[in-house]
Amino acid sequence: MVNPVEFKQRIETFLSQEYKVEFLGNNFDQIVSLLTEHKAEKMYRWITDIVGRKIQPITISSKKTYKKWAVSELLTFRYPFSIRNTEYRILFVKVKNSVYIEFHLGDHKYYDKTRKNLDLG
Amino acid sequence: MIIYNPHNQQLSNERLKEAEMLLTQIPTKYCFISGSFLYKEKYKDIDIFVITRSKKKIAVKNSRAKITILDFNDLYSLFYHSVSKSCVAKTLLPQRPLKITLADYWHVINEAIPTILNEKDKFHKDLRFLVLYTEYFKTDEVLDTFQLNERINSFHDYREVLAFIKRELPDIIHTHAKPSYIKRFFYTQAGHYKELQDYEAQNYLYDLTHDVAKGVAYG
Repeated sequence: MVNPVEFKQRIETFLSQEYKVEFLGNNFDQIVSLLTEHKAEKMYRWITDIVGRKIQPITISSKKTYKKWAVSELLTFRYPFSIRNTEYRILFVKVKNSVYIEFHLGDHKYYDKTRKNLDLG
Repeated sequence: MIIYNPHNQQLSNERLKEAEMLLTQIPTKYCFISGSFLYKEKYKDIDIFVITRSKKKIAVKNSRAKITILDFNDLYSLFYHSVSKSCVAKTLLPQRPLKITLADYWHVINEAIPTILNEKDKFHKDLRFLVLYTEYFKTDEVLDTFQLNERINSFHDYREVLAFIKRELPDIIHTHAKPSYIKRFFYTQAGHYKELQDYEAQNYLYDLTHDVAKGVAYG
Protein backbone atom coordinates (compact mmCIF):
# COMPACT_ATOMS: atom_id res chain seq x y z
CA MET A 1 0.00 0.00 0.00
CA VAL A 2 1.37 3.39 -1.03
CA ASN A 3 1.00 6.56 1.00
CA PRO A 4 -0.45 9.30 -1.26
CA VAL A 5 1.45 12.09 0.50
CA GLU A 6 4.78 10.30 0.07
CA PHE A 7 3.88 9.44 -3.53
CA LYS A 8 3.40 13.11 -4.37
CA GLN A 9 6.56 14.12 -2.51
CA ARG A 10 8.64 11.54 -4.41
CA ILE A 11 7.37 12.86 -7.73
CA GLU A 12 8.10 16.46 -6.74
CA THR A 13 11.64 15.43 -5.80
CA PHE A 14 12.26 13.98 -9.27
CA LEU A 15 11.09 17.19 -10.92
CA SER A 16 13.28 19.52 -8.84
CA GLN A 17 11.42 22.65 -9.88
CA GLU A 18 10.12 25.57 -7.85
CA TYR A 19 6.72 25.58 -9.60
CA LYS A 20 4.26 23.49 -7.61
CA VAL A 21 2.89 20.73 -9.83
CA GLU A 22 -0.85 20.08 -9.30
CA PHE A 23 -1.97 16.53 -8.54
CA LEU A 24 -5.45 16.14 -10.00
CA GLY A 25 -8.10 13.43 -10.21
CA ASN A 26 -11.45 12.66 -8.59
CA ASN A 27 -10.14 9.77 -6.49
CA PHE A 28 -6.43 10.49 -6.65
CA ASP A 29 -5.46 9.51 -3.09
CA GLN A 30 -7.74 6.49 -3.05
CA ILE A 31 -6.25 5.10 -6.29
CA VAL A 32 -2.66 5.74 -5.13
CA SER A 33 -3.35 3.92 -1.87
CA LEU A 34 -4.36 0.84 -3.90
CA LEU A 35 -0.99 0.73 -5.70
CA THR A 36 1.58 -1.90 -4.83
CA GLU A 37 5.13 -0.71 -4.10
CA HIS A 38 6.22 -2.40 -7.34
CA LYS A 39 3.68 -0.45 -9.42
CA ALA A 40 4.66 2.82 -7.71
CA GLU A 41 8.36 2.15 -8.37
CA LYS A 42 7.56 1.63 -12.06
CA MET A 43 5.79 5.01 -12.08
CA TYR A 44 8.78 6.72 -10.44
CA ARG A 45 11.06 5.23 -13.10
CA TRP A 46 8.66 6.52 -15.77
CA ILE A 47 8.87 10.03 -14.25
CA THR A 48 12.67 9.97 -14.23
CA ASP A 49 12.60 8.78 -17.85
CA ILE A 50 10.35 11.72 -18.75
CA VAL A 51 12.75 14.13 -17.05
CA GLY A 52 15.59 12.42 -18.94
CA ARG A 53 13.67 12.96 -22.20
CA LYS A 54 13.45 9.22 -22.86
CA ILE A 55 9.64 9.19 -23.09
CA GLN A 56 7.87 10.59 -26.14
CA PRO A 57 5.16 13.21 -25.50
CA ILE A 58 1.87 13.70 -27.31
CA THR A 59 1.67 17.24 -28.65
CA ILE A 60 -0.97 18.91 -30.73
CA SER A 61 -1.09 21.85 -33.08
CA SER A 62 -4.18 23.62 -31.77
CA LYS A 63 -5.26 27.23 -31.46
CA LYS A 64 -7.20 26.52 -28.26
CA THR A 65 -6.09 27.44 -24.78
CA TYR A 66 -5.97 25.32 -21.67
CA LYS A 67 -6.18 27.45 -18.52
CA LYS A 68 -3.45 30.07 -19.04
CA TRP A 69 -1.48 28.13 -21.66
CA ALA A 70 -1.83 27.57 -25.39
CA VAL A 71 -2.59 23.89 -26.03
CA SER A 72 0.13 23.83 -28.70
CA GLU A 73 2.81 24.58 -26.07
CA LEU A 74 1.87 21.62 -23.88
CA LEU A 75 3.54 18.22 -23.88
CA THR A 76 1.42 15.39 -22.50
CA PHE A 77 2.88 12.09 -21.29
CA ARG A 78 0.53 9.16 -20.89
CA TYR A 79 0.89 6.13 -18.63
CA PRO A 80 -1.75 3.36 -18.58
CA PHE A 81 -2.01 0.87 -15.72
CA SER A 82 -4.61 -1.32 -14.08
CA ILE A 83 -5.51 -2.37 -10.56
CA ARG A 84 -7.75 -5.42 -10.09
CA ASN A 85 -9.13 -5.33 -13.65
CA THR A 86 -9.90 -1.60 -13.55
CA GLU A 87 -7.96 0.50 -16.00
CA TYR A 88 -6.48 3.86 -15.02
CA ARG A 89 -4.44 6.48 -16.83
CA ILE A 90 -1.91 9.10 -15.82
CA LEU A 91 -1.60 12.22 -17.93
CA PHE A 92 1.44 14.26 -16.97
CA VAL A 93 1.52 17.72 -18.52
CA LYS A 94 4.55 19.92 -19.13
CA VAL A 95 4.90 23.33 -20.73
CA LYS A 96 7.34 23.25 -23.65
CA ASN A 97 10.87 24.18 -22.51
CA SER A 98 9.49 24.96 -19.07
CA VAL A 99 7.88 23.42 -16.00
CA TYR A 100 5.68 20.39 -15.31
CA ILE A 101 2.24 21.73 -14.40
CA GLU A 102 -0.25 18.92 -13.83
CA PHE A 103 -0.26 15.24 -12.87
CA HIS A 104 -3.68 13.75 -13.62
CA LEU A 105 -4.59 10.29 -12.38
CA GLY A 106 -8.00 8.70 -12.81
CA ASP A 107 -10.27 6.15 -14.38
CA HIS A 108 -11.42 6.11 -18.02
CA LYS A 109 -14.17 8.64 -17.45
CA TYR A 110 -11.78 11.15 -15.88
CA TYR A 111 -9.18 10.40 -18.56
CA ASP A 112 -11.65 11.08 -21.39
CA LYS A 113 -12.72 14.35 -19.80
CA THR A 114 -9.12 15.52 -19.28
CA ARG A 115 -8.20 14.56 -22.86
CA LYS A 116 -11.04 16.72 -24.13
CA ASN A 117 -9.90 19.67 -22.00
CA LEU A 118 -6.40 19.30 -23.42
CA ASP A 119 -7.93 19.14 -26.93
CA LEU A 120 -6.54 15.63 -27.48
CA GLY A 121 -9.94 14.50 -28.75
CA MET B 1 -29.88 -13.03 -32.55
CA ILE B 2 -28.30 -11.61 -35.69
CA ILE B 3 -24.96 -12.85 -36.99
CA TYR B 4 -22.96 -10.43 -39.11
CA ASN B 5 -20.36 -12.57 -40.86
CA PRO B 6 -19.38 -10.99 -44.22
CA HIS B 7 -16.35 -13.25 -44.74
CA ASN B 8 -18.09 -16.50 -43.77
CA GLN B 9 -15.77 -17.12 -40.87
CA GLN B 10 -16.07 -20.46 -39.11
CA LEU B 11 -17.87 -19.64 -35.85
CA SER B 12 -18.28 -22.25 -33.15
CA ASN B 13 -21.84 -23.05 -32.05
CA GLU B 14 -20.71 -23.13 -28.45
CA ARG B 15 -19.40 -19.55 -28.66
CA LEU B 16 -22.55 -18.38 -30.41
CA LYS B 17 -24.69 -19.86 -27.62
CA GLU B 18 -22.48 -18.22 -25.00
CA ALA B 19 -22.70 -14.90 -26.86
CA GLU B 20 -26.49 -15.11 -26.95
CA MET B 21 -26.60 -15.88 -23.24
CA LEU B 22 -24.46 -12.83 -22.45
CA LEU B 23 -26.46 -10.51 -24.70
CA THR B 24 -29.76 -11.53 -23.11
CA GLN B 25 -28.40 -10.33 -19.74
CA ILE B 26 -28.09 -6.79 -21.11
CA PRO B 27 -31.24 -4.70 -20.68
CA THR B 28 -30.85 -2.63 -23.87
CA LYS B 29 -32.04 -3.17 -27.43
CA TYR B 30 -28.76 -2.58 -29.25
CA CYS B 31 -25.82 -4.64 -28.04
CA PHE B 32 -23.33 -6.92 -29.75
CA ILE B 33 -20.21 -9.01 -29.29
CA SER B 34 -17.24 -8.63 -31.60
CA GLY B 35 -13.57 -9.62 -31.66
CA SER B 36 -11.44 -12.66 -30.91
CA PHE B 37 -14.05 -14.38 -28.71
CA LEU B 38 -16.02 -15.14 -31.87
CA TYR B 39 -13.25 -16.58 -34.02
CA LYS B 40 -10.25 -17.56 -31.86
CA GLU B 41 -9.93 -20.64 -29.69
CA LYS B 42 -7.88 -18.66 -27.19
CA TYR B 43 -9.08 -15.19 -26.34
CA LYS B 44 -8.32 -12.62 -23.65
CA ASP B 45 -11.54 -10.65 -23.28
CA ILE B 46 -15.11 -10.87 -24.49
CA ASP B 47 -15.69 -7.51 -26.15
CA ILE B 48 -19.29 -6.45 -25.62
CA PHE B 49 -20.59 -3.19 -27.07
CA VAL B 50 -23.77 -1.52 -25.88
CA ILE B 51 -25.40 1.38 -27.72
CA THR B 52 -27.33 3.42 -25.20
CA ARG B 53 -28.03 6.89 -23.86
CA SER B 54 -28.44 5.54 -20.34
CA LYS B 55 -25.77 6.27 -17.71
CA LYS B 56 -26.66 3.14 -15.73
CA LYS B 57 -23.82 0.72 -15.09
CA ILE B 58 -24.18 -2.49 -17.08
CA ALA B 59 -22.70 -5.77 -15.93
CA VAL B 60 -22.89 -9.41 -17.04
CA LYS B 61 -21.98 -12.60 -15.24
CA ASN B 62 -18.60 -13.27 -16.82
CA SER B 63 -15.28 -11.98 -15.47
CA ARG B 64 -13.78 -11.82 -18.98
CA ALA B 65 -16.52 -9.60 -20.36
CA LYS B 66 -15.35 -6.09 -21.23
CA ILE B 67 -18.27 -3.77 -21.83
CA THR B 68 -17.87 -0.65 -23.97
CA ILE B 69 -20.69 1.86 -24.01
CA LEU B 70 -21.31 3.58 -27.34
CA ASP B 71 -23.18 6.82 -27.75
CA PHE B 72 -25.50 7.23 -30.75
CA ASN B 73 -22.98 9.78 -32.12
CA ASP B 74 -20.40 6.97 -32.22
CA LEU B 75 -22.41 5.24 -34.95
CA TYR B 76 -20.78 7.53 -37.53
CA SER B 77 -17.26 6.52 -36.46
CA LEU B 78 -14.81 4.23 -38.19
CA PHE B 79 -14.49 2.35 -34.89
CA TYR B 80 -18.20 1.44 -34.83
CA HIS B 81 -18.23 0.53 -38.51
CA SER B 82 -15.28 -1.80 -37.86
CA VAL B 83 -16.42 -3.54 -34.66
CA SER B 84 -19.98 -4.00 -35.91
CA LYS B 85 -18.96 -5.36 -39.32
CA SER B 86 -18.41 -8.91 -38.03
CA CYS B 87 -20.32 -9.51 -34.83
CA VAL B 88 -23.16 -11.24 -33.07
CA ALA B 89 -25.94 -8.81 -32.14
CA LYS B 90 -29.12 -9.03 -30.10
CA THR B 91 -31.05 -7.44 -32.93
CA LEU B 92 -30.44 -5.62 -36.23
CA LEU B 93 -27.94 -2.89 -35.52
CA PRO B 94 -28.57 0.75 -36.51
CA GLN B 95 -26.64 1.92 -39.56
CA ARG B 96 -25.28 5.42 -40.04
CA PRO B 97 -23.01 6.81 -42.77
CA LEU B 98 -19.33 7.03 -41.99
CA LYS B 99 -18.12 10.53 -41.09
CA ILE B 100 -14.39 10.75 -41.18
CA THR B 101 -11.91 13.41 -42.25
CA LEU B 102 -8.22 13.61 -43.08
CA ALA B 103 -7.79 15.79 -39.98
CA ASP B 104 -9.19 12.89 -37.89
CA TYR B 105 -6.67 10.60 -39.56
CA TRP B 106 -3.81 12.97 -38.80
CA HIS B 107 -4.98 13.15 -35.19
CA VAL B 108 -4.66 9.36 -35.00
CA ILE B 109 -1.15 9.42 -36.51
CA ASN B 110 -0.09 12.26 -34.20
CA GLU B 111 -0.96 10.19 -31.14
CA ALA B 112 -0.01 6.74 -32.39
CA ILE B 113 3.61 7.58 -33.25
CA PRO B 114 4.73 8.66 -29.74
CA THR B 115 2.73 5.79 -28.23
CA ILE B 116 4.40 3.20 -30.46
CA LEU B 117 7.85 4.66 -29.77
CA ASN B 118 7.18 4.41 -26.03
CA GLU B 119 6.19 0.76 -26.38
CA LYS B 120 8.73 -0.53 -28.88
CA ASP B 121 8.52 -4.11 -27.59
CA LYS B 122 4.73 -4.15 -27.14
CA PHE B 123 3.67 -1.95 -30.04
CA HIS B 124 0.93 -4.21 -31.45
CA LYS B 125 -1.74 -3.06 -28.98
CA ASP B 126 -1.29 0.56 -30.07
CA LEU B 127 -1.71 -0.05 -33.81
CA ARG B 128 -5.46 -0.57 -33.94
CA PHE B 129 -6.58 2.91 -34.98
CA LEU B 130 -3.49 3.68 -37.03
CA VAL B 131 -3.94 0.60 -39.21
CA LEU B 132 -7.73 0.92 -39.37
CA TYR B 133 -7.58 4.53 -40.62
CA THR B 134 -4.65 3.91 -42.98
CA GLU B 135 -6.30 0.91 -44.62
CA TYR B 136 -9.58 2.78 -44.92
CA PHE B 137 -8.03 5.77 -46.70
CA LYS B 138 -5.79 3.50 -48.80
CA THR B 139 -8.37 0.94 -49.95
CA ASP B 140 -11.74 2.50 -49.09
CA GLU B 141 -12.51 -0.60 -47.05
CA VAL B 142 -13.40 -0.81 -43.37
CA LEU B 143 -11.56 -3.74 -41.83
CA ASP B 144 -13.53 -5.85 -39.37
CA THR B 145 -11.88 -7.04 -36.13
CA PHE B 146 -10.69 -10.29 -37.73
CA GLN B 147 -9.07 -8.55 -40.72
CA LEU B 148 -7.65 -5.84 -38.49
CA ASN B 149 -5.97 -8.34 -36.16
CA GLU B 150 -4.45 -10.18 -39.11
CA ARG B 151 -3.12 -6.93 -40.56
CA ILE B 152 -1.73 -5.77 -37.20
CA ASN B 153 0.00 -9.09 -36.58
CA SER B 154 1.68 -8.90 -40.00
CA PHE B 155 4.02 -6.27 -38.51
CA HIS B 156 6.96 -7.90 -36.75
CA ASP B 157 8.79 -4.80 -35.60
CA TYR B 158 7.76 -1.22 -34.78
CA ARG B 159 10.19 0.02 -37.47
CA GLU B 160 8.07 -1.76 -40.10
CA VAL B 161 5.08 0.30 -38.95
CA LEU B 162 6.99 3.57 -39.20
CA ALA B 163 8.20 2.61 -42.70
CA PHE B 164 4.65 1.61 -43.72
CA ILE B 165 3.23 5.01 -42.73
CA LYS B 166 6.08 6.88 -44.45
CA ARG B 167 5.50 4.85 -47.61
CA GLU B 168 1.70 5.07 -47.73
CA LEU B 169 0.78 8.46 -46.29
CA PRO B 170 1.96 10.87 -49.05
CA ASP B 171 -0.07 9.03 -51.73
CA ILE B 172 -3.12 8.73 -49.46
CA ILE B 173 -3.12 12.44 -48.73
CA HIS B 174 -2.60 13.42 -52.36
CA THR B 175 -5.48 11.18 -53.40
CA HIS B 176 -7.92 12.63 -50.86
CA ALA B 177 -7.04 16.33 -50.57
CA LYS B 178 -6.54 19.34 -52.77
CA PRO B 179 -3.00 20.79 -53.05
CA SER B 180 -4.07 24.06 -51.37
CA TYR B 181 -5.43 22.16 -48.35
CA ILE B 182 -2.34 19.94 -48.16
CA LYS B 183 0.00 22.95 -48.17
CA ARG B 184 -1.97 24.85 -45.56
CA PHE B 185 -2.55 21.90 -43.23
CA PHE B 186 0.81 20.17 -43.41
CA TYR B 187 3.00 23.28 -43.30
CA THR B 188 1.12 24.31 -40.14
CA GLN B 189 1.77 20.88 -38.63
CA ALA B 190 5.43 21.00 -39.66
CA GLY B 191 5.84 24.36 -37.92
CA HIS B 192 4.47 22.85 -34.72
CA TYR B 193 6.81 19.84 -34.75
CA LYS B 194 9.89 21.83 -35.78
CA GLU B 195 10.55 23.11 -32.27
CA LEU B 196 10.10 19.64 -30.75
CA GLN B 197 12.53 17.73 -32.92
CA ASP B 198 14.65 16.72 -29.90
CA TYR B 199 11.99 14.07 -29.41
CA GLU B 200 12.13 11.04 -31.71
CA ALA B 201 8.35 11.06 -32.23
CA GLN B 202 8.02 14.71 -33.22
CA ASN B 203 11.14 14.41 -35.38
CA TYR B 204 9.48 11.55 -37.28
CA LEU B 205 6.21 13.52 -37.55
CA TYR B 206 8.10 16.57 -38.81
CA ASP B 207 9.74 14.48 -41.55
CA LEU B 208 6.38 12.95 -42.40
CA THR B 209 4.65 16.34 -42.81
CA HIS B 210 7.53 17.43 -45.05
CA ASP B 211 7.26 14.31 -47.21
CA VAL B 212 3.56 15.03 -47.73
CA ALA B 213 3.99 18.76 -48.39
CA LYS B 214 7.01 18.21 -50.68
CA GLY B 215 4.87 16.05 -52.93
CA VAL B 216 2.69 19.06 -53.62
CA ALA B 217 5.57 21.49 -54.08
CA TYR B 218 7.27 19.23 -56.65
CA GLY B 219 4.07 18.00 -58.26
